[in-house]
Amino acid sequence: MPGRPLTRRTAVVSAVGSALTAPFVLAACDIDPPASSDGSSPATPPPPEDAELVATVVAELVRAGAVLEAATLSVPALTPLLEPVAAAHADHLALLSGAVADADVPASEPPAIAAGRARALAAVRRSEQRLQRAVRQACLTAASGDLARVLASVAASTAQHGAALADPAVGQAEAP
Amino acid sequence: MSTLDALQAALAEEHATLWTYGVLGARTSQSASPALYDAVTAAYRRHRARRDQLRLLVRDAGGEPVAAAVAYELDGALVRPPQVQRAAVGLEAAGVETLLALVARSSGEVRDWALTEATWSAVWQLELGGAAQTWPGAPELD
Repeated sequence: MPGRPLTRRTAVVSAVGSALTAPFVLAACDIDPPASSDGSSPATPPPPEDAELVATVVAELVRAGAVLEAATLSVPALTPLLEPVAAAHADHLALLSGAVADADVPASEPPAIAAGRARALAAVRRSEQRLQRAVRQACLTAASGDLARVLASVAASTAQHGAALADPAVGQAEAP
Repeated sequence: MSTLDALQAALAEEHATLWTYGVLGARTSQSASPALYDAVTAAYRRHRARRDQLRLLVRDAGGEPVAAAVAYELDGALVRPPQVQRAAVGLEAAGVETLLALVARSSGEVRDWALTEATWSAVWQLELGGAAQTWPGAPELD
């Protein structure tokens, strides 16, 4: 990684690393960042209101996934473009739905997507923007800082995929 | 780690990022690589504003903003456009990680600001030639 200070590298890495590695426990399941290097960070169960918040995000992910699926069925040529988005949301959903074991993961009726590439893409973009707003709001209101971090990553991922959908020429490069 | 600690860590990282972007900008030809030049220049400006805001936030939190180092390490040669591009993507990826740490350790306006900046850095990776990820800033979840 370029740009590390010549004289304070260890201090910076340590300071950032400790914040990234605090254990995160939600409801009955765990979302575990790596173990703290010094093992001193206690697991802190978040307040119950966060479970409701995660359930809201889970429902939004299910809804957005249904839109992606419907768009792909309506316009199969969109599959290469939408598949990475759906895969990312599936991973987000797998992690978060496991964190609300007591809540039913809602089923979402397949929405009607207008025929035609442009209309289908527009519907997906609107859906992704709605998801982005919901995840961002959840991140800002989460009582647990570690949950907020996970949701911030989901929001950042959704924003990245949204940018790639807005301009399909962007974001097609290989990951660094 | 307290909010102040996370702010200081983010500021220290921002000093390094800004310094490195200065190097990347100096090694990018505006005429030969205009798109990359524009992307690096826009990033430099964003990070300069981010550094200034972090200084204010550190003071608001009762701290003395950490100073920049005299110089920073550069990984490998940064001469050709693809090397500059990769380095810039790496800077933004590291920035997302740092800001997500601040998200975890803050609330209210500071968390809102950190989330906005993290999202910008995540999206800017695409402008710099990077790809969308599943867990930007939280690689341990991949």
